[in-house]
Amino acid sequence: MNRVGLVILLIVATFVGIDSVFVMQEGQVAILTQFGEYKYSVNAPGLYGKVPFADTVHRMERRIIGSDTPPAEFLTRDKKKLVTDPVTRWKIIDPLTFYKTVRDESGAKARLDDIINSELRGVLASQDFSEIIGSARDPLMQEVTRAARKQALRFGVQIVDVRIKRADLPTEVQESVFKRMQAERSRIAKRYRAQGEEEAQKIRADTDKDKAILLAKAYELAQKSRGEGDALSIKVYADAYGGDPEFYAFTKSLETYEGSIDKETTMVLSTDSDLFRYLDDPKK
Amino acid sequence: MRSQFDDNGQGPDISEVVAQVSETFKRNLRRLGPIIVLVLAAAVATLGFYQVGPGEVGIVRTWGAVTARTDAGLHFILPIVQQVDVVNVETIRRIEVGFRGDKIKPVEAQMLTGDENIVEAQMIIQYRVSDPEKYLFRLKDPDDALHASAEVALRSVVGRTNIDDVITTGRGRVQTEARQLLQKLMDQYDSGLSVTEVKLQAVDPPDEVKEAFHDVVRAREEKEQLINQAKGYQEDVIPKAKGEARQIEREAEAYREQRVLRANGDAEKFKSILAEYSKAEQVTRRRLYLETMQRMLSKIEKKVVVDQSIADSAVPILPLLGQGAAPVKGGQ
Repeated sequence: MNRVGLVILLIVATFVGIDSVFVMQEGQVAILTQFGEYKYSVNAPGLYGKVPFADTVHRMERRIIGSDTPPAEFLTRDKKKLVTDPVTRWKIIDPLTFYKTVRDESGAKARLDDIINSELRGVLASQDFSEIIGSARDPLMQEVTRAARKQALRFGVQIVDVRIKRADLPTEVQESVFKRMQAERSRIAKRYRAQGEEEAQKIRADTDKDKAILLAKAYELAQKSRGEGDALSIKVYADAYGGDPEFYAFTKSLETYEGSIDKETTMVLSTDSDLFRYLDDPKK
Repeated sequence: MRSQFDDNGQGPDISEVVAQVSETFKRNLRRLGPIIVLVLAAAVATLGFYQVGPGEVGIVRTWGAVTARTDAGLHFILPIVQQVDVVNVETIRRIEVGFRGDKIKPVEAQMLTGDENIVEAQMIIQYRVSDPEKYLFRLKDPDDALHASAEVALRSVVGRTNIDDVITTGRGRVQTEARQLLQKLMDQYDSGLSVTEVKLQAVDPPDEVKEAFHDVVRAREEKEQLINQAKGYQEDVIPKAKGEARQIEREAEAYREQRVLRANGDAEKFKSILAEYSKAEQVTRRRLYLETMQRMLSKIEKKVVVDQSIADSAVPILPLLGQGAAPVKGGQ
């Protein structure tokens, strides 16, 4: 029995030994309480001693923690509804306060969600929808971060940042957005088609104009050429025939007579004519 | 450990067993000694040796604090006192935003653009661990944080951009800005991750309005088509008109040349005749007249010669002789 007692003693000693030290891991912080009363905080990793069984180590996360606040609906200044889904990153900087006020991560998340939602509500209500979606998003979130950061200090928490993951329209509004998008697209499509027709019409009109001008210029040149030809020929004829206008008349008449008859022509000749002057009277 | 301790208090059963075990243990100590040493050594070896593969880094903690960083190879740690985390720092990790595999996730993909339109965007992020210590001990769930931050970054950038830019020319810019913002956030969170690539896979209008967007594309093509047709008309008409113009001009020039040449010819002919005529005016004149008459009369089949004395009364019956009568009054 003595031997059994020794073994039990050995076992008890082992447990006491084990419970009188604790290892802090990298990325952890802890507070130490003695029968529920706060003694001190441990911020650095390493091997520490404690009073066995009396002291309790409460370990907490030292790393940055992310909490994804469930999406909620907010009203903007221009009375539009916006669904946002903020993500907050924070870390425990004061383990005692943290432990006293929220105890653990899920408690902290619940409190932070409340703070962020109320800050967000205030900030979003002061801005128009389009600004929240676009350019003002970053400064707005910085504003929310600043305000929430101050309040979160009460829980021993430092907020790194608050960001909006989603900023969407509520589902019931989406339908109207789609309608607007469709209308806008059909406007753009119409514009393209009209522009196409406009351009085409312009090109055709230019073409027709160019064609008309080309032909008219050609006509101008042609008439000029014809005129020159006629003028020159008139001059040449006048110069030539001016030598003896009577002879010209004579020869041209003969040519005309000859040219205007054919074999069908019936010719009535008077014996009185010059041709037959020797018919009755062969004398000179 | 606690439960074992509690069990121990239960009764004599266990203490008897312990007594028996220690009895046997004592008796055979001499023979068991080397075996126990061997088993202990093996246990220390299996617990203490670890391997770091290529592209991996081992982070060694002694009593919880980081004390060493080991590269590829076989290494040893003291069990219980030391711990090691092996992190791959070279593998490119990949996450998908807005889709998983080949299925789109509408809630994640749909977002508002700067001009309050809705688009569906899909993005791939590639990243790797650049600082294993930070990766392990500064941020909780770094990979989840990266995913959430990727969404934040993408939405933030798309929210500043108009739909037409997001869908077409602005994609490169969206990609670059999203990457910059994402890296900035990851640095701010001490994540130890570095983003190597952000690829915007697709940015499309949602299904509900896709048809309208396609119609715009069609309209743009139709516009081009109309313009091209008009250009085709232009290219058809203008050369033809030029040809026609050239023809008109050339015809007129030909007319001019023709007129002049003919006039010259006629003039030369007249001048030649006139030169000879003036030498014997009366004879030539008579000859020309008679020759012409001869040629004319030989051509005509019906000739009527009427005496001057009946000329007046003969005229009324003349039409009976046929058409084409040409009364000729002779000579001068």
